[in-house]
Amino acid sequence: MLEITTGKMTLRLSRPVIGASGAFGFAGEYGKLLDLSLLGALVTNPISLKARRAASGTRVVPLDSGVLIHTGLPNGGIHKMHRQHAAKWRTSPIPVIMHLIGAPEDLAECAAFLDQQAEIAAIELGINDTLTARETRTTVATVRTRTQLPLLAKLPLYQAVNLAAAAADGGADALVIAAPPRGTARDPLSGQLIGGRVYGAWLKPLAVRVVGQLTPRLSIPIIGCGGIHHPDDARDFFEAGARAVQLDSVVWARPEMVIAIAKAFSGGELTRMSGALADEWRPLGEPAERRTTLIPAPPPPHVPSPPEI
Amino acid sequence: MHQRQAIIERIRRISAGVQRLELAVEPPQQALSGGQFFLARTTAAYDPYLREAWLPVALNDKTIIVERPTRYQYLPNQVVDLLGPLGRPFPLRDSARTLLLIAYEATPSIFLLMLQSALARNSAATLVLIGQARQYPLEALPSALEVIRAEHHETWAERAQHIAWADQIFAVAPPPYDVPAYMRLLEDAQRVRHAVSAELLYGIFQPPMPCGIGACQACLVRLQNGDEVPACTDGMAFDLTRVNLLQNLADSAGA
Repeated sequence: MLEITTGKMTLRLSRPVIGASGAFGFAGEYGKLLDLSLLGALVTNPISLKARRAASGTRVVPLDSGVLIHTGLPNGGIHKMHRQHAAKWRTSPIPVIMHLIGAPEDLAECAAFLDQQAEIAAIELGINDTLTARETRTTVATVRTRTQLPLLAKLPLYQAVNLAAAAADGGADALVIAAPPRGTARDPLSGQLIGGRVYGAWLKPLAVRVVGQLTPRLSIPIIGCGGIHHPDDARDFFEAGARAVQLDSVVWARPEMVIAIAKAFSGGELTRMSGALADEWRPLGEPAERRTTLIPAPPPPHVPSPPEI
Repeated sequence: MHQRQAIIERIRRISAGVQRLELAVEPPQQALSGGQFFLARTTAAYDPYLREAWLPVALNDKTIIVERPTRYQYLPNQVVDLLGPLGRPFPLRDSARTLLLIAYEATPSIFLLMLQSALARNSAATLVLIGQARQYPLEALPSALEVIRAEHHETWAERAQHIAWADQIFAVAPPPYDVPAYMRLLEDAQRVRHAVSAELLYGIFQPPMPCGIGACQACLVRLQNGDEVPACTDGMAFDLTRVNLLQNLADSAGA
């Protein structure tokens, strides 16, 4: 179990696998398909103080082995979203973490509002990739003064090394490394270059490297995020020092892998080869090239030879 | 909604550009109506990364039939991972006796499952194939269907009459041609009928849908009342009197 505590309030994650912001919806939409109780927590889609509209223009650009998404982070504003979803958050089988975006004063107002609500277990701040270290410290510190809730800071990939200490100094109780990085790709339909957030398995080495760089320097927990599509990807983050991981776009591509990854770290993972059943080691539907033979195949059934005539 | 594996039992090419796949599916995924769809993955690898929208055109006893472009290669016994059924069935009114279906530059496949129900209860249906849609093989369409082929919207000579007598109208066009086509159709309907009531005129919106479950917010359609709703859960057919077509047009243009 991972505990992230402010001293007054504690976020307890019974499993170190979390559904990331931007992928799982606002209120457990994937509960129709997946057993979300197998996760440690769920982070909501980004929510701002005031309502935000969907982005104009192209919102999805397919990439080789990935995707670029530009939604504009639409949401109805924190008060409307709370009215709409509080009942589901209240009855969620796992802690709900709200991801907040906006200017520091807006974030602080949102945090103060959430401090009075019981449904949200923690706040995750989306740190804008244009902020300097000083601005990051100020942003986190401003929010810190307005809430007792555990505070996670999700840092932009390219600036994480520079901003991590500042976020920790500002009062973050944990860091999430990292937010999906920004990229630009050509939309095949319109022919235009579109900017947005980039997702794909190839992000993992980038994020793991940053986690590995930061864990020796910081005393607060680091949660790894980026490109996790298999339990082995999550293991790489743990080996680099992450205390938990967040899953994002894998839930769109192969939802069943979310459960496979969650189960792999639920305490039921087998660590011995002997006596293991095949499907306890590897999830069904896994690509053959990633499967290793752990138990010998049973011998073919004996078929007696036909009698000689 | 379910995530299940299906097996391609049979592949039949019905034209140079269209093939039909007969998929053996599990019972929960046979319970669907016209307008609903699956998000399909044909490989455990991550290229392509996102799932593809597959629209059933017919239901058999234990199989469903989907149409796919022939540029994609499939094999008998190939296993496909299906997420769905997704979306809402087309809101075909029980009282609708005359249907007008319009395919602009797109195959009319999306209408075929709904047509089965409509023709079964003796509704009269007219299908207008405009532009590239004219290449769809007519022999693959129900014989009870009236088919009109037009080079473009303006060469569809009887459109005023068709729009006037239809009880319900459904139109499909591929993005980014969809919104301009629907705007033109709505204008024609308003001119011909003077007032376009609710539940008369529907446009089918098919943006890319990464999640299919309303979580990622990438497929939002803007409505007149200010709401933005996911096409994957609330569509794909939207009442054009409720849709903010101007704003959606600005979206298509990349404004």
